[in-house]
Amino acid sequence: MPTARLAIPQGTLDMLILQTLSLEPSHGYAIAQRLQQVSRDAVQVNQGSLYPALHRLEQKGWLSAEWRQSDTGRDAKFYSLTRRGRKQLVVEKESWSRLTHAVRLIFDEGG
Amino acid sequence: MARILNLFPWRRRRLERDLDRELRYHTDRRVDELRRSGLSEAEARRQATLELGGIAQVQEEVRDTWIWRWVDHVGRDLRYGARALLRSRGFAATAMLSLALGIGGSAAIFSLVDQVLLRPLPVHEPGRLVLLDWNGRSLSANWGSGNLLSYPLCRDLEEQKRFFDGVFCRYPTTVHLLTGEEQDPVAADLVSGSYFPVLGVRPELGRLIDRSDDMRPGAHPVVVLSHDYWQSTLEGARDVVGRKVLVNNYPMTVIGVAPASFRGVDPFAAPALWIPAMMKRQATPEFDRLFDRRAFWMHVFGRLKPGMTAEQAKVGLQPWFRSMLEGETRLEGFPSTTAEQRRDFLASTIEVLPAAQGRSDLRPVLKRPLGVLMGGTVLLLLLATLNVAGLLLARGAARRRELTTRMALGASRGRVAGQLLVESMLIIAGGGLFGLLAAPAVARTLVSFLSQDADLSFRVDQRVFLFGFLVCVFAGGVCGLAPVLQIGRIPLIASLKERSRIAGGIRLRKALVVGQMAFTLLLLIGAGLFVQTLERLYAKGPGFTTSRLVMFRVDPPSIGYSERDAEQAMRTLLRDLQDLPGVERAAVANTHMLSGGSSSTVMVVQGESRIVTDRVLTMRVGPGFFATLGAQLVAGRDFDEREVRPPGSPETAPRAVIVNQSFARRYFGDRSPIGHHLGWGNRPNTVTNIEIIGVVRDFNRRTLREEAEQVFVSFWDRDSGDGAYYLRVRGDPESVFPAVRAAVRRVDPTLPVRSLMTFDEQIDRSLATERMLATLSSGFGVIALLLSIVGLYGVMSFVVTRRTPEIGVRLALGATRSAAVWLVVRDALIMIGTGAGIALPAAWALRRLVEAQLYGVSGFDGPTVALAAALLALAALGAAMLPAWRAASISPTETLRAE
Repeated sequence: MPTARLAIPQGTLDMLILQTLSLEPSHGYAIAQRLQQVSRDAVQVNQGSLYPALHRLEQKGWLSAEWRQSDTGRDAKFYSLTRRGRKQLVVEKESWSRLTHAVRLIFDEGG
Repeated sequence: MARILNLFPWRRRRLERDLDRELRYHTDRRVDELRRSGLSEAEARRQATLELGGIAQVQEEVRDTWIWRWVDHVGRDLRYGARALLRSRGFAATAMLSLALGIGGSAAIFSLVDQVLLRPLPVHEPGRLVLLDWNGRSLSANWGSGNLLSYPLCRDLEEQKRFFDGVFCRYPTTVHLLTGEEQDPVAADLVSGSYFPVLGVRPELGRLIDRSDDMRPGAHPVVVLSHDYWQSTLEGARDVVGRKVLVNNYPMTVIGVAPASFRGVDPFAAPALWIPAMMKRQATPEFDRLFDRRAFWMHVFGRLKPGMTAEQAKVGLQPWFRSMLEGETRLEGFPSTTAEQRRDFLASTIEVLPAAQGRSDLRPVLKRPLGVLMGGTVLLLLLATLNVAGLLLARGAARRRELTTRMALGASRGRVAGQLLVESMLIIAGGGLFGLLAAPAVARTLVSFLSQDADLSFRVDQRVFLFGFLVCVFAGGVCGLAPVLQIGRIPLIASLKERSRIAGGIRLRKALVVGQMAFTLLLLIGAGLFVQTLERLYAKGPGFTTSRLVMFRVDPPSIGYSERDAEQAMRTLLRDLQDLPGVERAAVANTHMLSGGSSSTVMVVQGESRIVTDRVLTMRVGPGFFATLGAQLVAGRDFDEREVRPPGSPETAPRAVIVNQSFARRYFGDRSPIGHHLGWGNRPNTVTNIEIIGVVRDFNRRTLREEAEQVFVSFWDRDSGDGAYYLRVRGDPESVFPAVRAAVRRVDPTLPVRSLMTFDEQIDRSLATERMLATLSSGFGVIALLLSIVGLYGVMSFVVTRRTPEIGVRLALGATRSAAVWLVVRDALIMIGTGAGIALPAAWALRRLVEAQLYGVSGFDGPTVALAAALLALAALGAAMLPAWRAASISPTETLRAE
């Protein structure tokens, strides 16, 4: 077990889910796998909070879901981004980059 | 908002099913993966579940996203709570019944308080209406009751435009109105022309009386009908305007109909018609002193200018009022007075009273009893609330294991507390609902006690509903919070381990019982005081023997008799009654005694000097009246044939008068008044030619409480249209009722016998308020006692259960059984004592509020207080003895073995 994996900062899980789904529709398990792989196992996705987040985004109308056959042949619940979800992703990315930029500035000044 | 749809069960089921599948898919995939890395099936499944952090927890969190969390929780708690309550029906019923009593009672009484004291008149800006009154000695002759002024004074006040947008006056009376076939006595208001315009009332039909109808006496024979009368007697005829009607046989024209919402300025006595004040002589033939400044008969109202307060108007009016008083003393016709009377007169002020609710004779009569009742029900409500809180605490304690188990399984304290709160709310809602359903019946009962003829009822309108709702919220807060507080303090692990010894918020429960003891003692003291008041009034009586005394009234003019024919009928009837076999004596008088009404006057006493009396009650009585009542003449003689005018001869002014002892003592001191002379009224030219021929022992005439100066003149001096007959009978008084009815029928088969009853019955009626207070306060006391005893018993049995091992050990170590009893009884005594310690100072502080309703006892009557406290202590100790006895019969060996 890798020891020092980062917990995803509060509030960013939604954004990461939206980003993952912007590439292609996917089910919960695949989203979890993908987040872990892409981040090269650097972030720990708390699987327990993944599903509540998916349902919350669905209720907000940013995701839509449908039951579809997965690669294993079993039916899985596939989530995909809605138009509003796409817009939301742009907004979130924007604010995230502004935040990281600001944090970088502060670090640089202190450095 | 779409989330609210997720509450629907079909939608909810689909969501649940999908979530289940979704999570299963996830775990299965993960398990497969883990197994491929070499874990066993079971190990893999464990690991997968762990990673999710528990399937149930995830489900719970996901559910929260479906709908607002609290909505969901409340919904589930409601179902759970309802099921839990259904399982313990006895508990639920007891709690709801206690609350229904408190809530129903207070809502009923609030509806009466609202109607009697709070509700404003349905007119334009009622908040600006004020009632004007004379504060001081007015040296006036009065007709009517309370807050009276003269018509000229009303017109003077109209000129005070700095303060008023308008001033109007009214005189309530009864007239005989003939609109069709039947002539009925109906309530009428004589009003100034400004009445409707100043109130801002618009007609339903035609026009209303205005200033043009208020110009010259006798010149405005017009009437406005009330909506009720128009609908009920004239069936809402559209062509009613312009019709001729007869008012006391005088032709007048209907000019309009008032709107349904407007029922006059007395909320409890709506007139059937309004007549211009200028028609005074026609409307009230018995007296006509329209322009007499010393004749007070009208209620005068003003509409304050916007922004003006009653207090400002009162202060502002005084300079004018003072100069008006000065002016009046110089007017011709001002009564001759003593220096003291004149000084008092000049020191009078004008009072400006807020009158948004109009004015009613009933209000001052009902205000105090209703206040006392409201206080009583509020106490009872508090008590019921405490009782339910105690019940809920006890229930909470009993369910403690259930609750702690739920908390251990992951329910937050908030969730468990919320659930208890919902349960309390269910009980309160149930209690509130039953209470409000029962309230109309309670109110009807109260009304029948309070007043037979007042226009009072229970209406569940918004205000009463709002009140009931607020009471429920309050009760819910008090009883709902107690168990919640208790939950906050449960040490989870300890109470899971601990199996038998549970604390159960015992201190809080004891505090609740102390509160109940205090409220109960207050209610018991109240009950004692009101019961004694009633008993003392009954014991005192009116001042003569009332058994075997019967009375009734006849009113021949009401069925169309002329005054002269009526008098003839009255004389015939009296003779017939005197000849009835069961009748010992019979006599006639002008009024029903102890009915609250009376006429009064001021008089001039010609002793060594002329003295103007204060108001004295007057009554017209026939010969033999005092003998019939058994009221003893202490000096002089009764009226006899000399004072009976021969039939058909013209009316005469009274020539002889009998005074009561109070009158004699006040105006003659030790001297005998016999042979001295009085004059009727207080004008300077009042002739003092009425000779005092007798002095009669004091007796009550209007109410049993009153000690008043009274004079009696002969019934037969004047044409006497109507009157009351008094009969002293042999044997059972009710046995003569048929003979009395037959005697009246022999005179005229169509003449109705009114208010035929025994004198004792009339006393009962006159004491209606006192009886209501005594009955209800006793009822309150009994209910309170029961509730608090149940509360005490509950706590004490709980204490004994909890201390069983301790007591067992003590007994094993040699403590006596009586020591064990004492252990429990001491606890109860402390609670009773603390309750009394709170209640007694409170009773002392509250005594002034009830004193006006009492008779013959003080508001903090020592024996009553002691008796109430003893009763409470005895009942409470009785309730504590049962658990105490159980404590004493604990077997030491068994309890030790259980340890």
